[in-house]
Amino acid sequence: MDVELQINNSASPDARFLTWSPSPCRVRMTNPSGATGPSVTVRITGASTASGGAVVFRSGTTGAFANSLSVPVPVNGTSMPFFVAGRFGRPSAGNGDVRIEARTGTTLVGSVSVMVRIRKNANGLSTAERDRFVAAFAQLNNQGLGRFADFRNMHTNVSSPQAHGAAGFLPWHRAYLLDLERELQAVDASVALPYWRFDRAAPNLFQLDFLGVSDSLGTVRLSNSNPLQFWRTDGVQGTNRRPFFNTGSAPPGLLSEIQTLALGTQYRAFRTMEGNPHGLAHTSFGGSISSIGSAARDPLFFLLHCNVDRLWAKWQRQNGRFNAAQAASYDPGSHPIGHNLPDTMWPWNGVTGNPRPPTAPGGALAASPTASAPGPQPTVRSTLDYQGAVGATARMGFDYDDVPF
Amino acid sequence: MATKRKATKKATQTRKRGGSPRTASHRAVAVATSPRRSVKERTAAAAQSPLAVCESEKDFQAMLKVLCDTTEPVKVRLAALQSLQAASFSVLSFEGCRGDYIATLRQVAEDHDPELRQRALGMLMREKDGFAQKKLLEGLRDPDKALLPPEKALQLLSYDVHADAYEAARAIVRKPPNETARREALRLLAADATAAPLFERLLLDKNELREIRQIAASALYALRPERMQKHARDILMDRSDYDDIKATSLTALTQLGDETLPQDAALMKSVGRFSTGKTPPKYKQTARRFLSKYGQ
Repeated sequence: MDVELQINNSASPDARFLTWSPSPCRVRMTNPSGATGPSVTVRITGASTASGGAVVFRSGTTGAFANSLSVPVPVNGTSMPFFVAGRFGRPSAGNGDVRIEARTGTTLVGSVSVMVRIRKNANGLSTAERDRFVAAFAQLNNQGLGRFADFRNMHTNVSSPQAHGAAGFLPWHRAYLLDLERELQAVDASVALPYWRFDRAAPNLFQLDFLGVSDSLGTVRLSNSNPLQFWRTDGVQGTNRRPFFNTGSAPPGLLSEIQTLALGTQYRAFRTMEGNPHGLAHTSFGGSISSIGSAARDPLFFLLHCNVDRLWAKWQRQNGRFNAAQAASYDPGSHPIGHNLPDTMWPWNGVTGNPRPPTAPGGALAASPTASAPGPQPTVRSTLDYQGAVGATARMGFDYDDVPF
Repeated sequence: MATKRKATKKATQTRKRGGSPRTASHRAVAVATSPRRSVKERTAAAAQSPLAVCESEKDFQAMLKVLCDTTEPVKVRLAALQSLQAASFSVLSFEGCRGDYIATLRQVAEDHDPELRQRALGMLMREKDGFAQKKLLEGLRDPDKALLPPEKALQLLSYDVHADAYEAARAIVRKPPNETARREALRLLAADATAAPLFERLLLDKNELREIRQIAASALYALRPERMQKHARDILMDRSDYDDIKATSLTALTQLGDETLPQDAALMKSVGRFSTGKTPPKYKQTARRFLSKYGQ
């Protein structure tokens, strides 16, 4: 007897990635030999190593999660749905380090290896996680000729009104990071974008083998084994980044996470974090990252914004702000184009010309084998329910290590 | 340390008393711009002010005034500059202030304080500001007019590379005032297609500084990838070359190499040797990455 387990409703190995948000799955009989009735009860469990990820199950879109699930599987090959999620606090360390097993009695009748792929604190990445991320990022840049050039060109002075200074600041950057992350995953599927938690010391980040060590001039030095030594943007080699703080500690003056989350329970109050901590995190350095038009030349920029997005995600979870229909979840006022809930966002919508920028680099938002949202042309509204808390199909396929479902 | 904590606490309390983040930020500007407050109080308050600077013309002008005022303590002026720059990220709110901000940065670019000069010129160059570019080039040609050391000027010119900057960089490479200026000139020239022969020579010179050889490898990788692939192979097979340069070469090959590499038995043997033996562990991983990619 054999069953097939489909993760994210797909038989493709590319879809075998999970987050804390439940993924829709299917199990079906592919070889009914030995079955005696119209269906067989299959017990589905997760098997992991001590340092690997862990998973939990439930039968529908609601209800409690459990460590195992019994599913009656018809012998005629009809698929039976179930849901699986990463167990909060147990992300994977590498691709395929969790196995989902199906058994009848004690007999193994099917299994697939999956990864609980979660955005983690960059300061705590393992050496292998760090190296995979750095290699994927360098390959995406490909000495300034790769797909990364689009991401650099999306975040410039010309395009900045689409993304800054109004309510859509957080939604735009969420889509931007997701697009980048999916491109990184096309290089190495095991990579999730890490975040720089800027209100805490992150000494491991500012090392030769990671994002580099700045000399007194602000020129970033990298080890000879670091692929980022070939980083190039706008035709120019390397990165300039001059910290105005000791990189063994956190930059001074920034609101802490607790202070940021306490800015207010209404989105309008929370989004003032664009100035502090976001703006001040940028200007804790001299160099590319300290100006809006050049910030995306520095890989650190993406880790900084990943933390900004994490803070928003945490605030959403803390206050239940996933539902765009509730006024507190977003700023209900009238905003410039690209900042209102129903607006599509540039550049993914491909719209050019006043009031949008003259070009739209990069095309549609990258698709993912693990989630269909937010679609190729995301709206502001589509970015809010990133976990699928309100509607399961809105799930975008990313989660943070300290923000539960 | 205790005073710093006290100042941060006061700034936080100011924010809390204000109720909304907007009111608190407005009050922070009042503290940051008040000469009656201590330097620590003012710098801590400046950190809370970007929101008010964006949303209130009066608060913006007050912070700008502090930045320009040469009688104010430099620490307070630097904090005002950082706060204004943070506010500039809120583009739509800040747009009306941008003209005044750029004009003030140009003024500060010639300030008596070197740190303020450097930061203002950096911000201007990242905006591709013609005034700043002209000043930096003038300083490279005539050190008496220099607002910044040559190495910093060259680094800032890389935000908007063009023929004049290349010319200045070539002059520095020919007659460097110091090693750091030479390094920054080479970084700038790494965008100049005509500089490939220079980088080829530097990469192959075992007497050259290893940092310079690393820069040369990166430059050549971009300017003449086929030459870099050839030289990377030669360096790996040269038992007398340095491990760090071999690691750079191997990393380049891993990124750059084509599908014919596994058929190069001599190269594969050299990489195999590099992945074992006396090679420092931090470089062995580059060999393992290469072998993993090319199926060994």
